[in-house]
Amino acid sequence: MKKQNRFKIVAASVMLLGGMVFLVVAMTRSTSMRHFTPAALVADGSSADKQQVQVDGLIADGSSKWDAANFVLTFAIRDRESDAAVNVIYKDQLKPDNFTDGGSVFVEGEYDASQNLVVATKLMTKCASKYDGAESAVPADETSYNSSE
Amino acid sequence: MTAEIGQAAIFLSVLSCLWAIAFLSVGLRTRNPHAIQSGRNAVIATFILISISTGALIYGFLTDDFSMRYVVEVSSAAQPLFYKITALWGRMSGSLLFWLWILTVVGAIVVWQSRQRNEEVHDTLADHALIPIVVVQLFFTVLVTGLIEGIYNPLARFPNGQVAADGQGMNPLLQTPLMAIHPPTLYVGWITLTVPFAFAVGALTSGRVGSDWILRTRRWTLFSWIILTLGIALGGNWAYKELGWGGYWAWDPVENASFMPWLLGTAYLHSVMIQEKRNMLKLWNILLITLAFQFTLLGTFITRSGIITSVHAFAQSDIGAYFLGFILTSTAGVIGLIIYRWKRLKSANRLESLLSRESAFVLNNWLLVGLTLIILWGTLWPVISEAINGEKSSVPESFFNKVVIIPGLLLLFLTGAGPIISWKKITANNFRRLFVFPLLIGLVGGALTWAFLALKGYTFPLYSVLCSFAAVFVCVAIFAEFYRGAKLRAKRQETSFLNGLSLLIQRNKRRYGGYIIHIGIVILYIGIMGSKGYFLLESEPLAIGQSMEVGRFELTMKDSFKQEYANYRRTGVVFDVKKDGKHIGTMEPALHLYHKTGQGEPETKESAIRHFGMNDLYIALGNVPPDIMTGGLANVQVYHNPLVGVVWLGIAVMVLGGIVAIAERSDRSREA
Repeated sequence: MKKQNRFKIVAASVMLLGGMVFLVVAMTRSTSMRHFTPAALVADGSSADKQQVQVDGLIADGSSKWDAANFVLTFAIRDRESDAAVNVIYKDQLKPDNFTDGGSVFVEGEYDASQNLVVATKLMTKCASKYDGAESAVPADETSYNSSE
Repeated sequence: MTAEIGQAAIFLSVLSCLWAIAFLSVGLRTRNPHAIQSGRNAVIATFILISISTGALIYGFLTDDFSMRYVVEVSSAAQPLFYKITALWGRMSGSLLFWLWILTVVGAIVVWQSRQRNEEVHDTLADHALIPIVVVQLFFTVLVTGLIEGIYNPLARFPNGQVAADGQGMNPLLQTPLMAIHPPTLYVGWITLTVPFAFAVGALTSGRVGSDWILRTRRWTLFSWIILTLGIALGGNWAYKELGWGGYWAWDPVENASFMPWLLGTAYLHSVMIQEKRNMLKLWNILLITLAFQFTLLGTFITRSGIITSVHAFAQSDIGAYFLGFILTSTAGVIGLIIYRWKRLKSANRLESLLSRESAFVLNNWLLVGLTLIILWGTLWPVISEAINGEKSSVPESFFNKVVIIPGLLLLFLTGAGPIISWKKITANNFRRLFVFPLLIGLVGGALTWAFLALKGYTFPLYSVLCSFAAVFVCVAIFAEFYRGAKLRAKRQETSFLNGLSLLIQRNKRRYGGYIIHIGIVILYIGIMGSKGYFLLESEPLAIGQSMEVGRFELTMKDSFKQEYANYRRTGVVFDVKKDGKHIGTMEPALHLYHKTGQGEPETKESAIRHFGMNDLYIALGNVPPDIMTGGLANVQVYHNPLVGVVWLGIAVMVLGGIVAIAERSDRSREA
């Protein structure tokens, strides 16, 4: 094989590999969402200010308010292990059926550190107890959560 | 009593696996035909034993034996007969037993096939390949014995003779015909991939590293590929109909786990052709099939170990550690063998030019393996990010959509360029004769798509234009291949063009079956482009009497209903549907509330779907409030999914092409 050809093949491979790596790194950086517990978000709120975050916790007792006329749901998401809580506002959707105090809830949205508030674009609830030790054979995020995106 | 017999059979099959490994190894080493025969018989014995265990578990379901833990967890007295049987793979320990059973069937078939070949008893490739198959069998057998912490024996009874009054029932989401067949289809696809892997290992242990192992497992690999294609599609179809989010693919870790082995299997199906034709890539093929096999296990590891705990929390169990251990040790074993056989694995030829069919195949492999690694990266990002900076992050669906699009489009282009580019080095003549015309028509196709979308108000939809260009190019290039070949045959045989076409395909089923698959891929891409890129979604709370609009459709909620069934209650609403102002019928989205829910949520969404040509109107119901008849609001999501029917059509064509290709006998495949 000619040397020139070999150089071309190596160069093309490097470009292809480089391109793929660049694409993956760039996309990971731009889309990656940090996952928080309410306690971690309260403690480290400033670093997540104006960023997309995921928060996983429990619906704080007595915190939820449902404005049925305007479809605005507000509540606080409480840490599983401490009293730390983050406020959530979720607009233009119906309140999920099984949205009850103490229930597990997962939200995704932009965090505003100054108000300690997540403007949720996605909200999922699930019954807390049922899934302990469960081992279902189907996609977990669709079975264990009632999505109300 | 049957449960005890089943349990005993599992323990006995540990012995028969060990027996098979010992006798095959010793027999092959000492060239003792009796020992080899005894090893083969042990493989058959394992099959019989595991069949007995599986049968005993099914018997437990059929007789509602609620003294058995697994039966209680996935079945109930009122569960329909069909779902009592499919409960076999309803949860983990049963799935493992079922997996093992299929693997023992595969082992028995390999034994039977090598008998059919009537070769000399010693030193056959198949006997070498049986050993890794049995090692995998042994791994699964040990997992279902119940001796491993965290996984109980599927045939185990409750301690102290306890008997439950009734079972908990199966997860409602599994109680649909599609979900009944989707998991076993995937399992069969995954498990049959063990055979080419085992033959690769057998090639290394026996030293017969030529193309023999590839040719002899070609149909196994294709079978696995067809079944995997079907299994993934069934999963997508199920998600589309049952989950109520209007889509068929969301880059969920479980979906990714099924998709990655498919990508690697596809890469392997291509790279073996290079070895057969040009005697290159010997080492690569062994690595690739090893990787593909390990990814079938890795999928289980990812979804079962609990390492992905962000949104997609599967419950944690220790099983992940065993899978990871097995993956690592078996991979290390293969690498050791490769080093041992290093000298024999050197390629006889090298790439001669960047623009040649060999390069096209290599690029195809790079892209498919690259895509696999990208998807693995995204799937494992929660773990990776935590390792890098101590913070758990995850990437959304959009990450995957964005990163796969460019490699995906390159691959689409290759499905047309690969089959027509010449071997060794592209020539000016080859380019003029085969490329120019399809490229020109492709440009026209891209331009037409651009114009069409511009008229609809989309400003420069780059990816759609590129996708259309590539799709048209591929179709023209491949149809031209069919046309030229058929015309030549017809001329030579002095027969009609259609006869020529059928002769052409019959004489070279592998090649033209492959081309049909390529056409299926094009169709699939067009469906994905339409349904992922141009769907409409309207989401509104509605009361009876109110209407909403989606695209050209107007929907009025006019009534609600409630029906009782043996194991669930169905509630829903009735929509009057108008298209362009003309009444075209009613649609009834519903919710099913199951009485026995096992480990699942009690509620499933039964979306109403209506097809308009290849487009779907899709209504999902969020809830039905008790006061629906007196002004209560139901949350309604309506999707207009263009070209979603094309997705299923593309998959059907791919499967059809696979069936054509598999019809070719392995020993004739050299002349392709």
